[in-house]
Amino acid sequence: MLNQQDMRASLQVAPLTIQKTRTGTRGGPSERTESTSRCSDTQMTPPATPNRLQEDRNASLKNAPVFYNFLRAIYPFQLDHGASDASVTLPLDEGDVILVHSIHTNGWADGTLLANSARGWLPTNYCEPYEPEEMRSLLKALLNFWDLMRSPSINDSEMFGNQEFMKGIIAGVRYLLERTQCLAKDALPLQRHEGLRRSRRALLAELSSLVRTAKRLQNAQRMIGTDVNDIVDEMILKAFEITTKGVRFLDVWEDDRRSRVAPAVTVMNTLLEETYVLLTPPADSAVFDAIQAHPVDVGARANANGNASDRSPSAAGEVAPDLIRHSNRLSSGRQQSTNVRRLSQNSLVQANRFSSSISHRLSLAGPSCSSQPCNLVSERLNTCHDTFLSHLGSFIGRLQLQSQSRPSLAVAIRQSATSGGELLLVVDVVCAHTSISLDALEQARDTMYNRIQDLVHTARDILTNPEPEMEEDVIVPHDNGRLLWAATGCVKATGECVAKTRWVIERIGDFEFEFENGGLGIDFGLSGFAIPDDKTEAPAAELTSIAEYPMSEAPTDSTAVSVTSSADTHARSLSIDKPLPEIPRANSPVSGRPALRASHRSPHSQPCPIDNSASSVVSSVSSLRPDLPPLPKISTSSLPAENYSPTDQSAMQDTDFRAFRSESMTASSSGSASTYLSRDSESSLMSQTSTRATTPEMTQAPKNQPSLSNLSTTDSLAPTDDDEVESKLLAKTYAHELMFNSEGQVIGGSLPALVERLTTHESTPDAVFVSTFYLTFRLFCTPVTLTEALIDRFEYVGEAAHIAAPVRLRTYNVFKGWLESHWRDETDREALALIKEFAEFKLTAVLPTAGSRLLDLANKVSSIDGTLVPRLVSSMGKTGTSTFVPAETSLPAPAISRSQANALANWKLGGSSPSILDFDPLEIARQLTIKQMALFCAVTPEELLGSKWTKLGGVGAPNVKAMSTFTTGLTNLVVDTILQFEEVKKRATAIKYWIKVANQCSQLHNYDALMAITCALSNTSIQRLKMTWDFVPVKRKEMLKSLQEAVDIRQNFKTLRSKLQNQVTPCLPFLGMYLTDLTFVDVGNPATKTSDTGLTVVNFDKHTRTARIIGELQRFQIPYRLAELPDLQAWLTAQIDRVREKENAGSNAQATHYRKSLLLEPRETQQLRTPIEGPSSAASSSMFSWIRSNTGVSAQV
Amino acid sequence: MPSKFSYQPCREFNVVVLGAGGVGKSCLTAQFVYNEWIESYDPTIEDSYRTQKSVDGRQVVLEILDTAGTEQFVAMRDLYMKTGHGFLLVFSICSKASFEELETLRDDIIRIKDDENIPIVIVGNKADLEEQRAVDRAKAFSVSRGWGAPYYEASARTRTNVDEAFIDLCRQMLRRDDTHDDLHDDPSSQRAEDATKRHRRRKRKDRCTIL
Repeated sequence: MLNQQDMRASLQVAPLTIQKTRTGTRGGPSERTESTSRCSDTQMTPPATPNRLQEDRNASLKNAPVFYNFLRAIYPFQLDHGASDASVTLPLDEGDVILVHSIHTNGWADGTLLANSARGWLPTNYCEPYEPEEMRSLLKALLNFWDLMRSPSINDSEMFGNQEFMKGIIAGVRYLLERTQCLAKDALPLQRHEGLRRSRRALLAELSSLVRTAKRLQNAQRMIGTDVNDIVDEMILKAFEITTKGVRFLDVWEDDRRSRVAPAVTVMNTLLEETYVLLTPPADSAVFDAIQAHPVDVGARANANGNASDRSPSAAGEVAPDLIRHSNRLSSGRQQSTNVRRLSQNSLVQANRFSSSISHRLSLAGPSCSSQPCNLVSERLNTCHDTFLSHLGSFIGRLQLQSQSRPSLAVAIRQSATSGGELLLVVDVVCAHTSISLDALEQARDTMYNRIQDLVHTARDILTNPEPEMEEDVIVPHDNGRLLWAATGCVKATGECVAKTRWVIERIGDFEFEFENGGLGIDFGLSGFAIPDDKTEAPAAELTSIAEYPMSEAPTDSTAVSVTSSADTHARSLSIDKPLPEIPRANSPVSGRPALRASHRSPHSQPCPIDNSASSVVSSVSSLRPDLPPLPKISTSSLPAENYSPTDQSAMQDTDFRAFRSESMTASSSGSASTYLSRDSESSLMSQTSTRATTPEMTQAPKNQPSLSNLSTTDSLAPTDDDEVESKLLAKTYAHELMFNSEGQVIGGSLPALVERLTTHESTPDAVFVSTFYLTFRLFCTPVTLTEALIDRFEYVGEAAHIAAPVRLRTYNVFKGWLESHWRDETDREALALIKEFAEFKLTAVLPTAGSRLLDLANKVSSIDGTLVPRLVSSMGKTGTSTFVPAETSLPAPAISRSQANALANWKLGGSSPSILDFDPLEIARQLTIKQMALFCAVTPEELLGSKWTKLGGVGAPNVKAMSTFTTGLTNLVVDTILQFEEVKKRATAIKYWIKVANQCSQLHNYDALMAITCALSNTSIQRLKMTWDFVPVKRKEMLKSLQEAVDIRQNFKTLRSKLQNQVTPCLPFLGMYLTDLTFVDVGNPATKTSDTGLTVVNFDKHTRTARIIGELQRFQIPYRLAELPDLQAWLTAQIDRVREKENAGSNAQATHYRKSLLLEPRETQQLRTPIEGPSSAASSSMFSWIRSNTGVSAQV
Repeated sequence: MPSKFSYQPCREFNVVVLGAGGVGKSCLTAQFVYNEWIESYDPTIEDSYRTQKSVDGRQVVLEILDTAGTEQFVAMRDLYMKTGHGFLLVFSICSKASFEELETLRDDIIRIKDDENIPIVIVGNKADLEEQRAVDRAKAFSVSRGWGAPYYEASARTRTNVDEAFIDLCRQMLRRDDTHDDLHDDPSSQRAEDATKRHRRRKRKDRCTIL
């Protein structure tokens, strides 16, 4: 407990640069301390020297804050009182590479040293950004790896089940070797340079060791009781080690290269170069090996450094000899404690794995963070956001359950507003903290502020104006709606605001800030409403004043600081050169002598790290909780569903989601009808279809292993087995040209990389990916380029003997799937010759049976109309959530009387047409549904790509066009039937009739017809018939109202979407909604993305979205089981055609209808509008405006 | 900073974007509502077409109703028009037909809204394709004068005049909203509802200042 107290206090205490001097003057316990403090006295304290050199960069950093993920130490750094605050500063050697998590404004960075994965604070002025071109891919991969490994949101077994996650690191190493022309073992530079050869071997050994660990992890997944986290830790350490080795390799390489070029480098560079060299073999190879053997043996490493710096002064000249000596002394003297410290910190890596970070840069529950309120602004932001959302969430939840009492409403609002105010304060801090333009953030902040006030106002309104007829302390449902709206508005605005704030924090780097508790929050309080300008101004001013102390404005005479008052300390330590961010174990922030305390406490410092790690486990566990509710979803999903389904929303969504997943899996198991049931059809693409090919060579492939990973079967591989490692790890790959999102889905990639993904040898490719690829590849490449890419893949994989067989088989399977089920002859024909050639020669040479089979297919494909094997993509939904109706179930009996049937028969023979009002609305709805569903089922995925239905009058999308024509025809038929009657009462009857039909359509979940009919009934020509509507019973009007709400176009079809989400088939959705979605996915997302390495790649995310929408549509392509009445169908079609023909003559149906409507019920004079509307001539011209429109252009298509 | 805290009621308007297929109106909408903070655009969520803008210091929430993709569902146009408070009529400067079609659209709007002065902005899209221009600027301006509706030449591709066109429409709607506030003769239930909501808000605001 005491320790926790200390920590909290220390968080608020100013860092202690100055105390060093004090320690010295107080007569520090040892000679060593004395000397270092003197050293710092004369040297302007260690940071001062680099500070001067770095001033330019600091200035530029301030102007354009760029966050570097990796830094490299250019000076050694060691604190003299290092042992006293074990968990804080990170000793650096020159050349150390650090993964940065956040940077405090004072210039200290929270980072993890790759060499030993120790974490702590380090001075950025001792470092420079590290991102050499050669290493970029590996560094990026390390970042991803780190994020992935520590992400709690990813299903472990899913992630580790295949070895996908390993690819980035491997590709990164490969990229490094490729760039340095050291890929081949006998490459020239390697032959030349022994050291280079060695460090390359070390790098590869480390890589193969990681691969083995990954494999172990995969196995551990299957066994219960193994601690996966231990292995994950080990893997992170190994990944760090790989990167360290990579850095070293690059250094040696650079050095080698430079030694060939004339050495024209500055003094400064020489220093760096010299020290680098000294860190690495050949001279120190013994030490080097020792490090390798004991990755965490820091002592040895420190020694190595000692040697290095011992020699450096002579070589480096007089730039900073004292500095180096200083560090030298320290590193040898403090070895022991350093070692202990680092070891203890390793456990944190594990603890951190549980933390729910959005980005590793933001919300790390690092050693300095505990479950107490934390100073790191991102932490604070998250905490406040979580609190606010939980208040709002519970508030919304209660609202939806029942009416609540007034007092509880007041309490809930108060809580929400208070926590919202705290959150706003954090946002303001961030705003004040940065100078970059923040318009968007400020706007979001204002929105959030306004929304919270809206909520408070609404609540207050309700509290102060009780509805008179209601019971006194119950909030009526109507008010609930308003509150709900206001509250969800808050949630939404808050989400946006927080997202933007995070973005800003990421840009400027995380920083600490001291938040005072209570009182300062922006007050939305129910009683004191006066806008709290005065209250917030105070902290705001304080913020700016603090933020105005940039690190570079340090007074030059900072060495002479001697502390007299704590206030002074505080102020100066913020402004003075790089105040040390260690956390002194002082009990209170006003302590005048923190340094003294720190040194007093040094004997007890060893347990501290353990405590720290323990508490950080606590904090990370607790921070898991807020991660659980998908925050932005609150407003979108739970709200609409509440209105319609009393059942548990999340459960429903869950099943639906799963169903969709399994469907798409099914869909992608292209080709074989026998595979449609396999939920784990992972293997079906590969094994099932290929068994049909009955290739004898199949026996070569280890087909009994679901993951064909040769990479992962390296158990037998001895680490010394370099050759084998190399051939396996360094096979040509495009993996670095793929981009993933945080869920591990492919969101971008070059064509070769996508093809590689499609034919991956480890595990089967992701089902969604495969079906998306087949469906959309013509949008980002031509059939010919795809063929070429596949053939290229087939060839280059030959270089890697161990994976060639499975990859080639998969390549064949991709071709086969394409020809069998996804062939579109009109566009794909051009690739046919190429495919045939490939099948005949290249493929046959390796896999004779497959070759002849493919050739056979290629010959067949152009001669047969349609696909060879029924495409399962379009049958996605057929096995899914559909309520399976056995065929024997009798169809519902048609609701048609004998006389009606006779009338139809009579009409067919040329007799008079019956009136639609004669038929049962139920039967009309059924027949419409059958008709429309037939059209809907005919819609193919290809029609929906690339906005084809809008182009060239929709010739490329005949079924979409037929569908929209029918829907529009139905609308016009409805209007026509109503307007055909002269008598008011008959018109009212017609309206009533169509409302009933619409209702039946709604019962049948035929939203397309529902849309058409409600469209007609709310058409201006119908709506304006006031006399007619007076004859429509209130009951029917109410019914119509609720029907209209179901297909309301506002809020992006919110109601309809939520209905469809949980809808079981059969159901006919409104096609237009999908068409709009597809259009906007198409125009709203660019065709390409820029990858981290600056490469322009296919924006696969866009295509995945497209495929997802099409898949959703296909889910509903399941016919109704209803009896078709051919006579009635024919009659209905004839009616629709009759109306259409009538309109074709008059060109604008709307205008025709309106004219007719005016004739039936002429405008009343008093209906003429407002006085503002101008002279009556204008009004009359508007009245007859439809005449003009008749002569105008034809209706848009 | 204090200005941030002044409370203003949020006005909500429905803006309907109309125009022939292929004039790029969906690009305009996407450009306008596109949130640069979001990496990929998902049009299937509730607020895909909602955006908040500050117009002359007043906060406005806009819901953009875009018929893109559903142009073939001619009958639905009526529904969209009925819902709109302001209209963006989009044509492509490369297509004369798309320009001529605007007249029909405007007539329909005026008929459906039963209002000659409904806020309208005319947008000539694809202004970046000057060399393919088929509609004279002068002609567009003369139509603009005749209708009393501002004309903008915009380009969704280069993001020119996109915000300007929408903001202009917002101004019109705000101005109209201010003058029409006390009138309750609008037949559209939506507007009437809005008006009462605003009234309530205003009352509330008064009370606030008393406190």
